[in-house]
Amino acid sequence: MGVMSKSLLRLGTILLLSLSVILAGCGGGDAKSNGNKKPEQTATGNSDGKVEPFEISIFIGEAGQQPTPDNKVYKKIKDELGATMNFEFLAGDIDQKLGVMIAGSDYPDMMTGNTKLTAAGAYIPLEDLIEEHAPNLKKHYEEYWNMMKDPNDGHIYILPNYGVFNGKLNSSWYAGPAFWIQKAVLEEFGYPQVKTLDEYFDLIAKYKEKYPTIDGSPTIGFEILNYDWRNWGLLNAPQHLIGHPNDGGVVVKDGVAELFADKDYAKQYYKKLNEINSLGLLDKEAFVQNYDQYMAKLSNGTVLGMFDQHWNFQTAEDSLTTQGKLERTYVGLPLVYDENIRDHYRDRAPLNLNNGFGISVNAKDPVRILKLLDTLITEDWQKILSWGFEGEDYIVNEEGRFMKTQEQRDNFTDGTWKLANKADTFFKFAPKIEGSFSDGNATDAAAQPEEYKAGFKEYDRKFLEAYGYDSYVDFFSEPPENAVSYPAWTIDLVEGSEAKVVNTKLNDLSTKYLPRAILAKPSDFEAVWNEYTSEIGKVNVKAYEDRINEQIKWRIDNWSK
Amino acid sequence: MDETLSKKRAVRKQKKKTPMTWSLIKSQQQLIWMSVPLMLYIILFAYVPVWGWTMAFQDYKPARSFSEQTWVGFKHFKFLFTDDSFLRVLRNTLGMSIINLILGFTTAIILALLLNEIKKVLWKRTVQTISYLPHFLSWIIVTGIVATSLASDGIVNDILMRLHIIDEPILWLSEGKYFWGVVGASHVWKEVGWNTIIYLAAMASIDPALYEASEIDGANRYQKMRHITIPGIKATIVILLIMSVGHILEAGFEVQYLLGNGLIVDWSETIDIFVLKYGLAQGNYSLATAGGIFKTVVSVTMLFIANWTAKRLGEERLI
Repeated sequence: MGVMSKSLLRLGTILLLSLSVILAGCGGGDAKSNGNKKPEQTATGNSDGKVEPFEISIFIGEAGQQPTPDNKVYKKIKDELGATMNFEFLAGDIDQKLGVMIAGSDYPDMMTGNTKLTAAGAYIPLEDLIEEHAPNLKKHYEEYWNMMKDPNDGHIYILPNYGVFNGKLNSSWYAGPAFWIQKAVLEEFGYPQVKTLDEYFDLIAKYKEKYPTIDGSPTIGFEILNYDWRNWGLLNAPQHLIGHPNDGGVVVKDGVAELFADKDYAKQYYKKLNEINSLGLLDKEAFVQNYDQYMAKLSNGTVLGMFDQHWNFQTAEDSLTTQGKLERTYVGLPLVYDENIRDHYRDRAPLNLNNGFGISVNAKDPVRILKLLDTLITEDWQKILSWGFEGEDYIVNEEGRFMKTQEQRDNFTDGTWKLANKADTFFKFAPKIEGSFSDGNATDAAAQPEEYKAGFKEYDRKFLEAYGYDSYVDFFSEPPENAVSYPAWTIDLVEGSEAKVVNTKLNDLSTKYLPRAILAKPSDFEAVWNEYTSEIGKVNVKAYEDRINEQIKWRIDNWSK
Repeated sequence: MDETLSKKRAVRKQKKKTPMTWSLIKSQQQLIWMSVPLMLYIILFAYVPVWGWTMAFQDYKPARSFSEQTWVGFKHFKFLFTDDSFLRVLRNTLGMSIINLILGFTTAIILALLLNEIKKVLWKRTVQTISYLPHFLSWIIVTGIVATSLASDGIVNDILMRLHIIDEPILWLSEGKYFWGVVGASHVWKEVGWNTIIYLAAMASIDPALYEASEIDGANRYQKMRHITIPGIKATIVILLIMSVGHILEAGFEVQYLLGNGLIVDWSETIDIFVLKYGLAQGNYSLATAGGIFKTVVSVTMLFIANWTAKRLGEERLI
C-alpha cells in the first residue's frame, strides 16, 4: 500500500506539472497583458506631485530598430511626461501579423493605421475624446476634421501623421514619383531642358553610346522595378505622362475615376518601352530582379534612368553620395507626352488617411495617451522631435534661424547615432506640424532653405547654377490646388469586397502581361497588348471603378468647405 | 531484416486480443495516467482548432461572435475551384512538390550511401556538417543567395560561360520552364544534408556481421550497397515516403513567393500564394480557411492511399 501511494503521488506530481505547463501555455496572452499593465497600477501609489510614470505599448506596422535604452529624446519624454514607449516592430508579413492580432483581439495600446484593423473594430473612436481632452490636437487638425472621418461610419480612428500644414510651406526635397536621370547625363549634354519622354530616352541613348561602361560595368540605360508591392515603377507612369497627379490605378477627371491600365495613353508608354528594349536600352534583368538587386545596381552608379518614387531609392542615392559619386545621383524630371501638357508630378501633400497612430480598444487609459500626444504636438516638443536639442543638434544664428554644423548634419544621416538621439520611430507616425513654426523656422531641417543650401556639395551648387534653380524641386511645375477628392489611392476598397478582389486581379494581370509586352519583339507587341486588354475586359473593372467613384463623391460631399 | 519484422507482426496478429477488463486497466493505470497530458495536448492543439473550419462556410468577420457570422455554404469553395487560375496553381503546387519529393529522396539516399562508404571519420563529419548547415538558413536568405547566383553576372552564368557551355548569360528567372528546376535545386541544396541524417542513422543500425559475411562471399562495394545497405534502410525509406506523400500539397511558399516574378507567374504561383493573395491579404479569412481545408483533405487522402499501397506491397507502414 505504501509503495502504491508513493508511486501514485509521484504520478500525480508529473501529471500536475505537465498540466500546468499546458495551462501556462494557454494563459500566455493574459499573463503578458497583465504584465504590461502592472507598472501603471503600482505607479498610482506614489503620488508625490510628480508625473506618474506609465507605459505605452506601440505596434509599428513596418520593420524597424529599437531605440537605445538611454535614447535622449525618449528619456526626456519619460522624465517630463512620464511615458515610456515600448515598440513592437513588424517582423515578417503584415497581413499575417494583423490576422493573428485580430483573431486573438491581442492589441497593444497604440497601433499604426491600417484599414484591416479599422475593419476589425480595433481602434477606439477619438473625436469626442479629442474635443474633451486634447485642445492642441483639436486645433492642429481643425481644418481637416471632416477628412479624418472614416467614410464607413463617420468616426475618427487614426490621427494622420502627414499632410497638416502650418505657416509657409517650404519644400526643397522632392520625395515623389518622377523620371529620374543621372546628373552626369545632363551635364554631358550641356544641361538641356528635358520635357518629353522622347527627349529623355534620346539623351539616355546618346550617353550610353558614348559611355558603354561606367567604372568598368556595362551601362544600363533604363531600369524598371516590378517587385512585390513596389511595382509602381512599371504601372504608374502613364497617368503622369498625360499631366495627371498620382491617383494610383485610376485617372480622375472632373470627379470621375477610370482605370487607365488599358487606355491608349498607357499603351503609348509601353510601346515606347518596347522600342527602347529593342534598342538595348532597357536592363535585361529588369523584370527578374528583386528590390535588393535593383538597389545594388543603382548604388553602383551604372543606371542612367528609371521611373520611381524618390523615397524608394533614397538609400541607393545616399550610398552614391558616400562613395563620392555625386555625378551619378539623380535629378527628377516631370516628363509628359508633349510640351503642351503641364506636368503635375509634384503635389501638395494630401492628408494621409491610412497612416499615423490609432488607440486600440485594449488601451487601458486612452485619455492619458491622448493627453500625451496633445502635449507632444506643441511647438516646443515638435522642435525637439524634429530638430533635436538646441545647441546639441542644431544652432540658432543671429537672425533666429535654425542651422546645423557639418557634424550635426552628418549625425542626422547616421543610423546608429539616430537610434540613441532621435525619437524617429515615434515621430514618423505621430501627429506633426509641417510647414513652419510660429517663429518662421521650417519644421524640418531638409525644408529650411538656407540650411538645405548650406548642406549642398560643390557639385550640386554648380549643377543648379547651370539651370538657374534654387533646388531640385524647381525642375517641377508649382503644384496647383488639390482636387477635394485627391488622392484616389488612399480610398479604402473595403476588405473582402469585390472591388478589392478586382484590384488584386488587375495587379496580377499587369505584372504578368506588361513585362511580356515590353520584352516582346516589336512586331509582336500588338498581339500581347491585345491579349492583356482582353484579359482586363474579363475582370469586373466596373465594381472597382464604382467603389472609387462612390468614395470620390462622398469626399466631395463631406470634405468641401 | 524486414522479413523478421513482418514475421513478428504476423505472430502478433495471430495472438488473441486480450479483453479490456477492470483488472487490466487497474494494473496499467500508471500508463493510462501518463497518457492523459498527451491526450489533452492533442485534443487542445489538434482537434479544438478544427472548430475553426466553420469559418470556411461563413463570410467570416473578425472580432464578432460565432452567432453573429453569416453563413454562406460552399461560396468560398466555389470561388476557389472556379477561379481560372486555380487549376494552374494546383498544377504548379503538385509539379513542384513531386519534383521536390523525388529529388529530395534520391539525393538524400545517394548522399547517405556515399557518406556511409567513407571510412575517414573526420572527412565524413566535415562533409556531413557542410551539407546540412544550409538547413538552418531561412528561406529568405536562401532565395537571396539563389537570386544572386542566378543573376546575369552571377556565379552560375559565370561558370557556364567560362566552360563555353553557353554564349551569353541565361536569365534563369525569366523563363517558366526553368523555374521548377530552380526550386527543386534550391531545395536540394538546402535540405539534402539534413535529410541524410536519418538514413545514416538507419545504416548505423545494420548488423556489421552481414557485411562481414558478404565480404567472405566475395561481395564488392557496390554489391554490398545494393544487397545490404539499401534493403537495410528500406523500412525507413517507406515510412518517410508515406509521411511526405501526406505533404504533397505543401510545395512551399517562401521560395515561390520570393523568387517569382511577373514573367513566370504562370509557373511559380502555388496554392499558398493564391490563398495569401485572395484570402489573407484581402482580409478574407474564410477563403484562406477553405484553401486550408482543401489541402488537408487531399493530404489525408494521399496519406491513406500511400499507407494502403505500402500494406498491399507488404512493406512497413505508418498506420
